[in-house]
Amino acid sequence: MPAITLITLAVLATVARVIGLIILSIITGWFLAYASIKSKFFENIYIILIEIFESVPVITFFPIVLIIFITRIGGTLGVELAADFLVFTAVVWNIWMGEYQAFKTVPREMVEVVENSRFGLFSKLRYLYIPFSVPRITANLFPSVSDGFFYITVSEVFEVGIHTYQTFGIGSVLDTFVADGQLFNIEMALLIMGIAIVAIIIILREFSKYAVGRYTLDTDAPVMKRGRLNLKETTRVFAVLSKNPLTRLARYYKYREGDNHEETYEKKEKKQKRYKYIYAVIGVILLISILYEAISLITSVKLSEYEILIGKTPSLLIGLGYDYLRVGTILLVSMIIAIFLGYYLAVNRRAEKYGIPLIQSLSAYPAPIYFPFLFILTEPFIFSIFGVYTNELYVLSLGFISTFYYVFYSFWMGVKAMPSEYWEITRNLKLGYFRKMRKVVIPSTFPYLISGISSTINSAWGGLMIGEYWPAIYGTHSLTVKTGLMKTIDIATATGDIALAAWGSLIFGIIVAVYSILFTRKMMDLAQKKYVAEEGVYAA
Amino acid sequence: MEIEIKNENVSNSVLEGDGIYFSYDNGYDVFENINIRADTGKFVAIIGPSGIGKSTLLRILGGFLKPDKGIVKVMGKILHEPIPEVALIHQSIVTFPWMDAQENVMLSMKTKDISRDEMEAKAKESLSRVGLDGFEDLYPKEMSGGMRQRVAIARAFAADPYVFLMDEPFAHLDELTAEGLRQDIYNILFSGETPLKSVIMVSHNLTEVLELADEIYILNNIPATVVGKVEVTMPRPRNPRSDNFNANLDMLYSYLTPPRKKK
Repeated sequence: MPAITLITLAVLATVARVIGLIILSIITGWFLAYASIKSKFFENIYIILIEIFESVPVITFFPIVLIIFITRIGGTLGVELAADFLVFTAVVWNIWMGEYQAFKTVPREMVEVVENSRFGLFSKLRYLYIPFSVPRITANLFPSVSDGFFYITVSEVFEVGIHTYQTFGIGSVLDTFVADGQLFNIEMALLIMGIAIVAIIIILREFSKYAVGRYTLDTDAPVMKRGRLNLKETTRVFAVLSKNPLTRLARYYKYREGDNHEETYEKKEKKQKRYKYIYAVIGVILLISILYEAISLITSVKLSEYEILIGKTPSLLIGLGYDYLRVGTILLVSMIIAIFLGYYLAVNRRAEKYGIPLIQSLSAYPAPIYFPFLFILTEPFIFSIFGVYTNELYVLSLGFISTFYYVFYSFWMGVKAMPSEYWEITRNLKLGYFRKMRKVVIPSTFPYLISGISSTINSAWGGLMIGEYWPAIYGTHSLTVKTGLMKTIDIATATGDIALAAWGSLIFGIIVAVYSILFTRKMMDLAQKKYVAEEGVYAA
Repeated sequence: MEIEIKNENVSNSVLEGDGIYFSYDNGYDVFENINIRADTGKFVAIIGPSGIGKSTLLRILGGFLKPDKGIVKVMGKILHEPIPEVALIHQSIVTFPWMDAQENVMLSMKTKDISRDEMEAKAKESLSRVGLDGFEDLYPKEMSGGMRQRVAIARAFAADPYVFLMDEPFAHLDELTAEGLRQDIYNILFSGETPLKSVIMVSHNLTEVLELADEIYILNNIPATVVGKVEVTMPRPRNPRSDNFNANLDMLYSYLTPPRKKK
């Protein structure tokens, strides 16, 4: 087969994989979101799981996923499903959360109209909930596409111990070209992938314009609570009990005598209870299956091995400390660039017209496939300046590329959403650039910044996971850092020490999830209390 | 479907709420023993101070909320849940932006066993009835507030309702548009061209209420009770500038003192 045909087919396969998984996320998200607005019990399980999984970078639990798919299913299908699962978990949380938020914020009046017409589940979804969720899905498509492409290329080829697994796509084809030193084909692959990415971004931008024009509300129906919900208020497991059971009990006794309550509403109550039970059962099954997989993995490791793993825990935690320093550095650089560039693009329409599509295309272009070539071209020069810190710089760069756009998009949207009155005041008071930023722009975009910072922190881990240990990035050169938890997990996976990889992932997952949930919530609360302008915290 | 409504029902009552009690989940008692009745051919208004629960009562009468105690009957049968025969028209204008005017109206017929051609014909007829002939292809974003509210009313009409529950339907419109729409709606309501038998409207605009209503229920106190029922016998069309009209208006205002908590 001619190389150009092979490359085109591989690019198409990769694109189809990402798009297909995004579509799967959207469809499953509709049903899960509907179940969660109908059953508080299901909602509590669903949202807590999303929050945890959204906080933990997918690539860290990839080794565990590999074991499940390769050992339980095996063969080409197992490898394909493992790659698909990794990408699915990269794109799905954004989309599911967006759909849940959309369903949760459908105006009550619109729901009453469809209830008035006695619509069933599918009609409600078709005529109300799905169209209403389209703008939110569209807004989440850009980061999801970027994330999907970032992970797809590394998930198409992976090594566990002495085994290399691969599935057809641009990642695996490129891997072959690199191994054989076929420079022209590598360049062609990068070019065709670039064309595909630009085409997807153009289509998404057009779809986004269409979706906003057609599906956003422009009526007087008030949206009760827009955008991101205060999850603390709505999703706690014990919220099931928060509807004041004593009050319910009191009301029951108050009207018990001589009332014809049962006669009037018995049928509807029974029907509603039936649905609630169904959704609750789905929630329980979901929870049990996750717990089952977790427990079976835990029990498959011998007790003596646990002793070794616990002994290694302090060094894993030190590695995690180093990684947090790296994430902090990436975040700081990302924020500085995002604030200056985001502001510039938001207030300059001409620059924005070209700048935003360019950044969208760059962010969607999978860094893992072009980073080695960037490394080849710049390494001698960078080494001459940074010496022993060269690798550290590259790892930070990869982390930056993988995550910068989150905080950038958020801040840019925040500046765009600033009320026009604020701009008029800054002009009126003749505020200089830095004073304007300090006193008006940054405080009023604070909720957006927090949202972007949270996503940036979560996504930086993916870049570190790839960068901290990249054997043979080109030729005999390897990219590796001295200390880092991601490196330990990488090496453990590559050498087949799955127990250590899983243990490292578990420690990391717990710490990151707890930190992320606490940090994000505290900052969101602060943003809500002090800095909300025009419901910015929800729109963010 | 829990209830079956037959045209040949001989009872004069179209919709009635008997002994309605309702509290919010936080324990706040909203209604205590509310009795309300809308008879055939009557335009019933519910008024009361702000926050007294007028819209909540309308939702109870429509089956959207269930009372803690008491029943709602439509044509003599107990109402268990919302049905197209009791159509709710909202204060905020509810049109679906992803559907054009005709599709918006057809929405209320989707669960009926009729062909698409019939649905389209009926949607056109409903739109024509509210003065939107020729605007079938427009999307809500291309319409004024008054036009969108007409679409919402046409959608309610297309379901062949027996009762309209109108929750301050003109509140979001400018006075000129509201006045025009009020007259149009009243003329359509009892023209005999539709199965509509009665209307219950909630409003805080007393002039509007006095202009349209045959009977006015006045809510007051905490929890709210019906503190008065007024039969409006003024001949139609009613002139808001007449002395008689103003005298009635003053009487209504006197009822609307701030709500007092019952001891």
